[in-house]
Amino acid sequence: MLIRLKGGRVIDPAHDRDAVGDVFIDDGRIVAAPGNGCAPDETYDVSGKVVMAGAVDVHSHIAGSNVTMARLLMPELPALAAKKGAAIAPTPAAWSAFATGIRYAEMGYTTVIEPAVIPTHAIEAQRELSRIPIIDVGGLVILGNDDFTLGLLHDRAGPSEVEDYVAWTLAHSKCLGIKLINAGGSAAFKFNARTFGLDDEVPAYGVTSRAILQGLQRAVTALGVPHPIHVHCNNLGIAGNADTAVATMEAAEGLPMHLAHIQFYGYGAEGPKGLTSAAPRLAEAIKRHPNISVDIGQVLFGQTLTLSADILRQFDGRGAASPRKWEIIQGEGNGTGIVPYKYRAKNFVNAMQWSIGLEIMLLAEDLWRVLFSTDHPNGALFVRYPEIIHLLMDKDERARMLDRVPPEARELSNLPGIAREFTLSEIAIVTRAGPARRLGLADRGHLGAGAVADVAVYTDRADKTAMFGSADLVFKDGRLVVKDGEVVDISFGQAFQVAPDFDAAIERKLAHFYDRYYGVNSSSFGVPATIAARPDRFQTVPCLS
Amino acid sequence: MAMYLKGERAEEASALARAAELLGQARLPVIGGLLTDIAGAEAALALARKLGAVIDHDAGEALTRSTRLARETGACPASFGEARNRADLVVLIGDAPLARDPKLINELFPAEEGLPRPGDKPRELVMLGSARPRTVGDMPVTTIPLKGDDLPTVIARLAMAVAGRPVGGEGKLDGKIMRLAELLRGAAFPVFVYSAADLEEPVIHVILDMVRHLCLTTRAATLTLATSGNGDGVNLCSAWTCGLPVRTRFIDGLPEHDPWLYAAARLIDSGEADALLYVDALEAEGATPPPGVRTVLLTRDQGRRAAAEIVIEVASAARDHDAELYLPRLSGIGVVKAAQAGSGAPTVAATLARIADLVPLAEAGPC
Repeated sequence: MLIRLKGGRVIDPAHDRDAVGDVFIDDGRIVAAPGNGCAPDETYDVSGKVVMAGAVDVHSHIAGSNVTMARLLMPELPALAAKKGAAIAPTPAAWSAFATGIRYAEMGYTTVIEPAVIPTHAIEAQRELSRIPIIDVGGLVILGNDDFTLGLLHDRAGPSEVEDYVAWTLAHSKCLGIKLINAGGSAAFKFNARTFGLDDEVPAYGVTSRAILQGLQRAVTALGVPHPIHVHCNNLGIAGNADTAVATMEAAEGLPMHLAHIQFYGYGAEGPKGLTSAAPRLAEAIKRHPNISVDIGQVLFGQTLTLSADILRQFDGRGAASPRKWEIIQGEGNGTGIVPYKYRAKNFVNAMQWSIGLEIMLLAEDLWRVLFSTDHPNGALFVRYPEIIHLLMDKDERARMLDRVPPEARELSNLPGIAREFTLSEIAIVTRAGPARRLGLADRGHLGAGAVADVAVYTDRADKTAMFGSADLVFKDGRLVVKDGEVVDISFGQAFQVAPDFDAAIERKLAHFYDRYYGVNSSSFGVPATIAARPDRFQTVPCLS
Repeated sequence: MAMYLKGERAEEASALARAAELLGQARLPVIGGLLTDIAGAEAALALARKLGAVIDHDAGEALTRSTRLARETGACPASFGEARNRADLVVLIGDAPLARDPKLINELFPAEEGLPRPGDKPRELVMLGSARPRTVGDMPVTTIPLKGDDLPTVIARLAMAVAGRPVGGEGKLDGKIMRLAELLRGAAFPVFVYSAADLEEPVIHVILDMVRHLCLTTRAATLTLATSGNGDGVNLCSAWTCGLPVRTRFIDGLPEHDPWLYAAARLIDSGEADALLYVDALEAEGATPPPGVRTVLLTRDQGRRAAAEIVIEVASAARDHDAELYLPRLSGIGVVKAAQAGSGAPTVAATLARIADLVPLAEAGPC
């Protein structure tokens, strides 16, 4: 069926396009304008509206045992957030798998990446992901604090064995990439360390965070996994940690790396309050290292919940829980820490965090490598993304919010000196084209012929929060799924994975390891292809040769 | 696999239609038992939503105790693997853990050395309020008997000792309790093992507070025994499906949770519930629905044709088909392969989906 979206302002930065024109869809794909004599079966008049590819979220905690434990810890989160105006229904069900897909689709999102799949709990993660309607998904599986990795590095295993283990883990969990979360930090925490830097050693194993980072990064690169190793650095949230972020970028030694929620590392330690913005420094470092990409982890004022496998950091921050309850889950590998949190405009530190995230984006030169995120829910709930888009596009909106923060924060903020307002093309880069490209998903994030027909249409409004909060039309694989901001068709998407080869010897080694140390059959946590009870659920993204 | 109406063999279509009718016309239907796999749980939740039913699991009491305490005060759980490999001090609380899981100690203290762990002392086991188990051979075990007190009192005394609080009134705490408190404070990673089914909520709360207090100076955690009948799996499934644990009712499609109000046994006992769909379909354990209410029974047993008004024989998870279940040693959901080739019996998930299809939308939900 040939569909024509007629006369909209088409924003497709991957093809340098920002012009009024048509978009054609046929059989689930974007197609070139057909020749004469080929009348569309359906035409949507979108004149005056903005047409973009469906958005791609590179980092959002939407599924898995960690997310579900958070649901059980704080079912009242949606109600508390809604009370303060967040665009979410005030019921625990708003946090369900089903509601997640609906809400994302309503905003024009069509692909979302779950960045923290626990290897031994991959079945729950993939099961939950399969219950999220409409959007396509992918998981990043966590390594780097698990004893098997540490053992390999301690024993000075050769690179091919590390590659085998990484490839096995990806296959076993059916994930798209590898995630590192404070590499070595959780392991050190188990030995009761309370701080852990890039050059600190994990007790008993004697391996540094740097060695874990580099060992796994090299394996990911050698295997040709399209998405670079995705790194949550050490020292999150600590004043002065811009040093850590820059040191981590340098530790990449020119190989591709993605640093997660970089705002949480944008802190200098100078000044009267011992906290300053290091956003300019980070922006400069990102510019200087073309192999590095980041996502922002923007913070918004309001109630949320922090959910992180950086258990050392979460344990350290548990005293600031608001409401006053927390959960520290000591598990295999990283474990998980869940700490409810409320960012307040009147709190100097929170105000700085809010400013720093925006500064990093607004100072960015190459937006293809500086991607949009809130590290949902850590910085803010994903339903509030439109508020951030508004802030990026409207300097007056930033100024209004800056008026609410403490004067000390206003003085230290670099925002007053930044007049930049993102164009629609720039928004499209950081929310669609850039993430898709960085994830290695070549068929999305753009509207070129052959792309998947994931398309979002918005009414152009001065109030960008309203504009991006509710799409007029959303097509998923060429099917209309959202009309006037409401889902009209429930479909279920695909899950992306990579499947590099590995030597079967690693499988035997792991079977023995899990039997010996856990009394567990390692095949019991391998994700079956039938997990979604739908055929063709998984789509394998080819590795780079 | 057969279906029965009032004990008599019935046509599949007829039995399923009658089940849908019974449940659809009820004012307050309950879906209980729920000894089933994740797929079965998902289908049960979907059906409950359509019916406006209450969903509960046989282990609902234990599950909701734990989730309520987490929701109100937080939690500090350890996985089985972490307790096994890294706990230098394991405190078993009461008789229940070993009674419910006889292999527990052998698996928490395997003969071979575990992964690198903190602290330099040999691993220790303490039996709090329980006798020395026969299964431990000559492994050093400390037992702290109840000595006439009940278990909650002994736990409370231990918590007071750990917190260094002065004890008023009755005089000094038992020497053993004081020594255990010392041990706990000096341990690198003490883990308390208990069964939530066998301890009242306030007692569990005391244990959690004790753990949180220990976290001020060292690192401690709890290991809650997995509940029976894949309760933990069903509960997690409920949370990701509707945002709330079991003992939840669907009203106009939205979930409402109340661990007392929506307890299946209580609703049936009081007469508030006027229909029950009970699922008993796990290989490892069986269950019987509570009497006194019109019931649709999904059972993996053959030969229970008169056990309820409508009896539907279904496949047994992990015997007849691969199943996703909560695996205690994984502290998470894993897959168990079918023990024997497909018997052709319908799965719980498929059966519940068919019933859901037959429930008319007009009748769905309470008036």
